[in-house]
Amino acid sequence: MVTLTSPVPQRRRRKIWTESRVGLTMLIPGIVLIVVFMLIPFFYSVWLSLHVEIVGSNIPIRSVGLLFYRHLFTDPIFRGIFLKSLENNGIFALVVVPVQTGLAMFLAILVNRNGAFVKFCRTTFFLPVVFPMVLTSLIWKAILAPGPAGMLNAALRVVTFGHFTPQYWLGNVHLALPSIIVLSIWQGTGFQMVIFLAGLQGIPSSHYEAALIDGASRWHLFRDVTLPGLRNTTIFVVMVTTIFSLQVFDQVYLLTQGGPLNATSSVMYLAVSQAYVANNVGQGAAISVVLSFIILLLSLIQRQVLRERVD
Amino acid sequence: MSEIVLRDVSKIYDNGYHAIHNIDLEVKEGEFMVVVGPSGCGKSTLLRMVAGLETISDGEISIGGEVVNDLTPGERDLAMVFQNYALYPHMTVEKNIGYSLRLRKLPKEEIKRRVAEAAEILSLTEYLSQRPGRLSGGQRQRVAMGRAIVREPKAFLMDEPLSNLDAKLRVQMRSEILQIQRRVGVATLYVTHDQVEAMTMGDRVTVLRAGVLQQCDTAQALYDRPRNVFVASFVGSPSMNLLYAELGPDGTSLRVGSQNLEVPDTLFAQRPNLRAYLGRELVVGIRPEDLTMAGDGQTLVGRVGHIEALGSELIVHFGLDARNYVVEDKGGSAEEAEELLEETALTQHVRNVARVAPRSSVVTGDQVPFRVSMERAHFFDLASGNAIW
Amino acid sequence: MSTVSLPASSSAPRRRRRRRRHVPWGVYALLAIFSVLFLFPIYYLVVGSFETPADTLNGLRAAAPSHLTFANYHSLSQQFFSSTITGSLQGFYTVSTLVSLIVVVGGMIVNSLAGYALARMKFRGRKTLLLLIIVLVIIPFQAIAVPLYYMLSGLRNTVVVQALPFIGSAFSVYLFYTFFLNLPPQLEEAARIDGAGPWRTFLQIILPNAKPAFASVAILSFIQIWSSYLWPLMMTSQPNVYPLSIAIGNLLKQQSTPNYGEMFAFGVLLVVPMAAFFLVFQRWFIRSVASLAVKG
Ligand SMILES: Nc1ncnc2c1ncn2[C@@H]1O[C@H](COP(=O)(O)OP(=O)(O)OP(=O)(O)O)[C@@H](O)[C@H]1O
Ligand SMILES: [Mg+2]
Repeated sequence: MVTLTSPVPQRRRRKIWTESRVGLTMLIPGIVLIVVFMLIPFFYSVWLSLHVEIVGSNIPIRSVGLLFYRHLFTDPIFRGIFLKSLENNGIFALVVVPVQTGLAMFLAILVNRNGAFVKFCRTTFFLPVVFPMVLTSLIWKAILAPGPAGMLNAALRVVTFGHFTPQYWLGNVHLALPSIIVLSIWQGTGFQMVIFLAGLQGIPSSHYEAALIDGASRWHLFRDVTLPGLRNTTIFVVMVTTIFSLQVFDQVYLLTQGGPLNATSSVMYLAVSQAYVANNVGQGAAISVVLSFIILLLSLIQRQVLRERVD
Repeated sequence: MSEIVLRDVSKIYDNGYHAIHNIDLEVKEGEFMVVVGPSGCGKSTLLRMVAGLETISDGEISIGGEVVNDLTPGERDLAMVFQNYALYPHMTVEKNIGYSLRLRKLPKEEIKRRVAEAAEILSLTEYLSQRPGRLSGGQRQRVAMGRAIVREPKAFLMDEPLSNLDAKLRVQMRSEILQIQRRVGVATLYVTHDQVEAMTMGDRVTVLRAGVLQQCDTAQALYDRPRNVFVASFVGSPSMNLLYAELGPDGTSLRVGSQNLEVPDTLFAQRPNLRAYLGRELVVGIRPEDLTMAGDGQTLVGRVGHIEALGSELIVHFGLDARNYVVEDKGGSAEEAEELLEETALTQHVRNVARVAPRSSVVTGDQVPFRVSMERAHFFDLASGNAIW
Repeated sequence: MSTVSLPASSSAPRRRRRRRRHVPWGVYALLAIFSVLFLFPIYYLVVGSFETPADTLNGLRAAAPSHLTFANYHSLSQQFFSSTITGSLQGFYTVSTLVSLIVVVGGMIVNSLAGYALARMKFRGRKTLLLLIIVLVIIPFQAIAVPLYYMLSGLRNTVVVQALPFIGSAFSVYLFYTFFLNLPPQLEEAARIDGAGPWRTFLQIILPNAKPAFASVAILSFIQIWSSYLWPLMMTSQPNVYPLSIAIGNLLKQQSTPNYGEMFAFGVLLVVPMAAFFLVFQRWFIRSVASLAVKG
C-alpha cells in the first residue's frame, strides 16, 4: 500500500513544476517590462519625493523626510498653486464627468439604430478619439484665437448680430478653464459613446418587448429599461472619466502652460512642470505620488460601489 | 487496442473537495463502459483523470498495462469527445479531424487518407472544407467523433457527447456511436447522466454517487439486482416505488402503511438474509411494471392521481397511506428531495407509479387495488440502504 | 468580450417603425446638429490647411475660402529639409511609425503571453501578480515620467527609448487576461489530448481565436503611442529623432504669431494615417473600445 501511494505526490509535483515553468516563461517578458518601466519608476518616484537633489551640482543627495509633502499644504507660495491646481482638477472633473457621460449616453441612444446617416454620425462622433491631443490643441487654439479673426469670436458675433465682444478665450482667467473643458469633451465623448453603445446592445430586447406589452411609453422605456440596463456601464464610464480628468496634462501644457494666473493649472501639469521645468524633482515626485494615491483611492471606492450594485 | 484499469483512484481538488473516493474500475478491450450518476457526482472528474486533464490525487490509472499517472494527455494516446464538442473554430472540418495526426508528424498523404476514411464513415465528406461554425449540431457531433476515430487511439473517452442534441437526433447518434465503437473496437469510457442512455449503450454500466462507485455491471443485472437503494431508484424509468414497510415477526406478512401483504415462503428461500429482518422495519421496492391491475393475488389499495396514457401502456400515479422512502442525491440535493416530498404531501402522497395495460378502466380519484408480484419485490436495509438478498 | 454588432438596433424601435412607418425626424435633426458640432473642427483643420496664411485665421470666412492652395504643404517640405538640422517630414513619419510598430507588435506578444499565463497557468503568486497588474493599470504615466527620465537618460535621442516604457503594459495584460479567462478551456483541453504542448496550443489554438482581443490591444495602444507627447518631449532634443507629435508641438509652441495654415497642414499629415486606418477598420476600432466596458 505504502509503496503504491507514495510515488504519486512526487509525480504530481513534477507536473505542476513543468506547467509553472512554462507559465513563468510566458510571464517573464511582459512582467519584467512592466516592473522595470512602471513599478520601479513608481517606487523611485516615492524615493525622489523623500530626497532633495540639486540637479547639475555635486552637492550630495540628502533625505528630507516628508518635507515636500508638507510643502504642498504649508509653503505660503506653493500651497496656493497646489490647491488651485487641485481645485481646477476638481472643477474639471465635476463638469466633464457628468456632461461628458450624459452627452455620451444621449448620443449613444441617438445612434443606436440603423441607417446610412446614423452610421455616418457614429463615425463622426468617434473620429476625434483618434486625434492626438497635440492636434486637438492646435485646432482649438485656432478656433479660440483672440480678436475678431478668431473663429469662435466671429461666429458668436454673427449669431448675436454684432453685439458680442470678441474674447481672449485662453487668456482670460474666467474663460480659459471652460475652454479647456470644451475641447476635452469634444475629444473624449466618442470614446464613452461607444462604451454606452455596447451597453445598450447588451440589454436584451425581450426587456423592451415586455415593457411594451405592459403599455410603457417611450419615457417609461427609457427610465425603466434603458437606464437600469446601463447602470454598470455608467459606473464604469464615470470611473474612467474621473481618472482621465485627474490626469489632464497635454492640453494644459500645450495651450496655456497653466495660465493665466494658474487658472488652468492641473495637478499633473504642476507635477511635471515642477520636476521638469523648475528642476524641483522631489516636489514634482511628491505631487505625483499624492495624485496616484488619490486616483487609487477613488477607483477602490468606485470598484466597491460597482460590486455592491452588482450583488 | 488495450484496456483501461483504475486502481483505488481518488481525487481531491485544490480547494479540498473530495470528488472521487477510491474507485476501482476496469474497462476491457473493446468494451463500451458507461459511467452514469446524478449531476455533480464526479463523472467528468473521473474521465478527466483518465484523460490526463486532472491530476490523480491517489491511486493508479493504467492503459494497455502501462501506468499513465505520469504522462501528459498527449502521451496517453487517447481520444476524447467533449460535451460541447470543442471543435477548433478556425479550422476546417478536415483540419479539425487531422490536427492530431499533423501533430504526430504523419506524412501528408497518410493524413489525407485517414481523414477521408473517417469522413466517409461519418458521412462528412462533403463538409470537409467547411468551418464548424456553419454545421448543424449533429454534424458537429460527427466531426468530434471523427477527430476521435482518426487517431486510432488506445481508448475513447466521451463526456456527455449527446446532451447538446435534440431528442430524436440523440437516439440516432446513440446507435451511430455504438456502431463506430464496435467497428473500431476500442475500450470506451462514456459518461452520461441519462440512465436511459446508459442502459441502452453500455456493455456494462457503472453507477456513481457522490464520488463513490455504487455498482458496476451489465444493464440487466443493475436492473434486476441493484446492490443498493440508490442504484435501484436511479436505474429504470419510471423509477422503482420505495416504501417503508415492516416485516411481521413470524415472517408471514409485510405491513405497508395500514395494509398487510402476505409473504410467500419462497421469498425467504430466494433471500436468506431476509430472515434477519423479522419484526423490523425495512424498505420495500416495487418496480412499476410489477404492479398490475388484472388478475388476483396480493394487492395494495391506492388512490389514483393523474394518468399518463402513452398508447402502449398507462402510467398510473397513485398514493398510498404508507411513507415513501426518498433517496437523497438522486437528481438534486437532499433539500430538493425534501421539498419534493412536501409538495407531494399536498397531493395526497401521489408518489407511486404503476405501469398497467392500456385501456384499463381506471379513473383519477378511484380507490384501486394494485396486484403486487411479491417474488419480484426488492428489500433494502433501512440504515445502510443495501439490498437484502 | 461581448459580441457587439455594429448595425445596432434593438427590436423595440424596429417593431414600432414597422407599425407606423415612423421616421424619427427629431432624432435626425439632433444628430445633424451634433454632427456639425463634432465635425466642424475637423473640417476647419482640413480646409484651413489648404488656405493662404491670411485666410486661415480670418473669422468665419476661413470656413468658406475663396481659393485653395498647396502652399502650406509646400512650405512645410521646404522648412523641414534636412533630417539633422530641422528634421524632415519623412524622418518624423519614420520615427512615429517605428515607435508605434515596436510598441504595438512587441506589446501584443509580451502582454498576451503574460495575460494568458495569468488566466490559465497555475503557479505560486498568481493572485498577487494579478492584483499588482490591476493597481498598476491606474497609475498615470505622467506620475512616473520623471523617474523614468532619470533611469533612461542614457538612451536619450534614440527611437528605442520612445517605445521602451510602453511595450509592457499592465492595461493590455489585463485586457488579455479577461479575454482568455472568458475563453472556454475545452479548446485547450482538446488540443492537449490531440498532443499539443502549451506553446503550440497558444500559437495554433488560442491565437487564431483571440483575434478580437489582439485587435483591441493593437488599436488602443496604437492610438495611445501615436499620440504620445510628454515622453518624446522629455527624451528627444534632436530633430532626427522627433516623432510627428513633437515636431508639430514645437511648431505650435515656438511661433509667437502662429502660422495656422502651415500647422494645419502638418496636423493633417499627422492625423491622416490614423484617420485612414480608423475609417478602414472602423468596426474593429469601435469594438475594441466597446470591449473595455465588459471589465469593471
Ligand atoms: N476544479 C474544481 N475544483 C473544485 N471542485 C471541483 C472542480 N471541478 C469540479 N469540482 C466539483 O467536483 C464535483 C464533481 O464534478 P464533475 O464535474 O466531475 O461532476 P459531473 O458528475 O461531471 O456532473 P455533471 O453531470 O453536471 O457534468 C462537483 O461537486 C464539482 O463542484
Ligand atoms: Mg460533467
